[in-house]
Amino acid sequence: MSYQAIAQKLQSGRTVILDGAIGTEILRRNVTWADHQLANQPDFVRGIHEDYAGADVVSTNSFQLCRRALYNHFRDEAHRRQIGAADLDDRADKLLAASVRLAVEARQKAAAIRPVAVAAAITTLEWCFRPDLAPSPEQARLEYREIFQTVKDAGADLVLLETLNSISEARAAVEVAKDLGLPCWTSFVCDERGFLFTGESMAETVAALEPLGVDAILLNCAPPGDINAGIKELLACAGVATGAYPHIGRFDPPEWMFTDEYPPARYAQVASTWQQMGARILGGCCGTTPDHIAALRGLAA
Amino acid sequence: MYHHLEARLKSREPVLLDGAMGTELVRRGVRWRKHGLLTDATYVQQLHGDYLAAGADVIRTNTFQLNPRIYLNVFRNREHMRHIGAPGLGDLTPELLHTSVQVAKQARAHGPREDVAIAGVLAPLEHCFRPDLAPPFEVALAEQLELARVFAKEKVDLLFAESMNTIAEARAVAEAARTVGLPIWISFVIGPEGELLSREPLAEAIAEVEKLGAQAVLVNCAPPADIGRALAKVKASTRLPFGGFAHIGRFSPPSWKFEFFPQFAETESWSPERYAAEALRWRNQGASIIGGCCGTTPAHVARLKAALQVMRQGAKTA
Repeated sequence: MSYQAIAQKLQSGRTVILDGAIGTEILRRNVTWADHQLANQPDFVRGIHEDYAGADVVSTNSFQLCRRALYNHFRDEAHRRQIGAADLDDRADKLLAASVRLAVEARQKAAAIRPVAVAAAITTLEWCFRPDLAPSPEQARLEYREIFQTVKDAGADLVLLETLNSISEARAAVEVAKDLGLPCWTSFVCDERGFLFTGESMAETVAALEPLGVDAILLNCAPPGDINAGIKELLACAGVATGAYPHIGRFDPPEWMFTDEYPPARYAQVASTWQQMGARILGGCCGTTPDHIAALRGLAA
Repeated sequence: MYHHLEARLKSREPVLLDGAMGTELVRRGVRWRKHGLLTDATYVQQLHGDYLAAGADVIRTNTFQLNPRIYLNVFRNREHMRHIGAPGLGDLTPELLHTSVQVAKQARAHGPREDVAIAGVLAPLEHCFRPDLAPPFEVALAEQLELARVFAKEKVDLLFAESMNTIAEARAVAEAARTVGLPIWISFVIGPEGELLSREPLAEAIAEVEKLGAQAVLVNCAPPADIGRALAKVKASTRLPFGGFAHIGRFSPPSWKFEFFPQFAETESWSPERYAAEALRWRNQGASIIGGCCGTTPAHVARLKAALQVMRQGAKTA
């Protein structure tokens, strides 16, 4: 398992670099993100993974890629059969597996230099910023089991549950990942005060997840200032490895607005303050580029 | 220009609608962001122009499901939108609606005819295929009224509510149109049961909007055969002018929570000829307003125009 090398680094207190954005990077390269481009332009997606060569962990291009997300566009099954494309039942599953295969292929080059793990990037089952929409824990366990089994079979080394918004959905996901024997990092979006979008605290989050065997707790998909508030709260109570990967720029649905507020050097400087506070996994969320991750590489020397 | 349409409908002449905007823009390679109205307005205008050249009597603004909710829904709340969202996102809708009318007017000004009507398109505030998410009447009325006011200010010729999926929201758009003093045509999305997607009876929906002053009722956003079946029900329910426009192919959405995403697969199985042949049956059923929904192109509308002309000539000689 390629995760062993990453786990050992974290155990010995070394810093692990996670890759940067893939969805917004697709847009920045002037391609539409509509179908993740996994089936249409696999070489293009693999190429972006390869451009994140400085990362120890490559995360799959699979944000929000699940059957529920596709089904949500229809009233119900009868309506889906009436007007929906024929492959919707297994499209998400196939694309998920493809996303893992592309990341696995992309790591070949980098793996000659250092061990690289492939993380299946999986988010909330409903929209990441809307905890009010989350399914019941029982339902979430069923759906996560199917997703995790797919990415495990396709060769993922760990699951990176990202942009999570509630303890209950995180708990369901971690239980399933551990049951399947998959290493599991959970990453949460936090607000300006460092709380989850449900209002739950970092202390409550840590207390709920550590006993389940979660391998790391991170924060992502918030601006650096919010991440700063959250990481302080998280570091005050976490026993497991912690990390952060903020977004930079602005969410301009359905796309992203790139700004020059955090050029790579400044981005790495901000990340280094979290490293000094104790965070050991650093990477980039929406708006970050291979240059940002290259700049982070110096922190893992 | 609305009096031209009224006159046509009174004399039982057919009124030809345009075809799809969203799916056709996407098929032409336009990235689906802000309905193309910020970054690709020239392509939107070009497509209106292509529908006018194909013979459409009405062109519809590219504003299907364009309202403040589609942006707000992908954030935790308004505060979160201001905090991490692009500047001005909260005020974007009126600006985009303005552009949508401007490009339609430009296309008309450069088009073959001046007597073409521009219809400001309204739609369900939440996803058109999810009637379970529809807001209650009072909420819908307040929000639809804001959109209708922009269209009134921009002087569209009529409002056109498409893919309405509940009676409550259909009543809200009818009421909004009455308040701003614009004529409105209301079209319902047909579910697998042959009624509204909410499963509410089509006949009841038609009766409700007729009471509120709708000037025509239509059915749309279902496969051609479903539209044909629904039109029989419509005919039995009203004396208003009525019509339909079907989608072709299969809805193939992305794995992405957003408003209706205009991507249809397998549309090639519905050639313009096949679509026109199907739509002529609707005309024979008594429909006077005919056009195309998702997946259709200017070629479909052009073929439909030719078919309707042949039919008229046939009627005259007969």
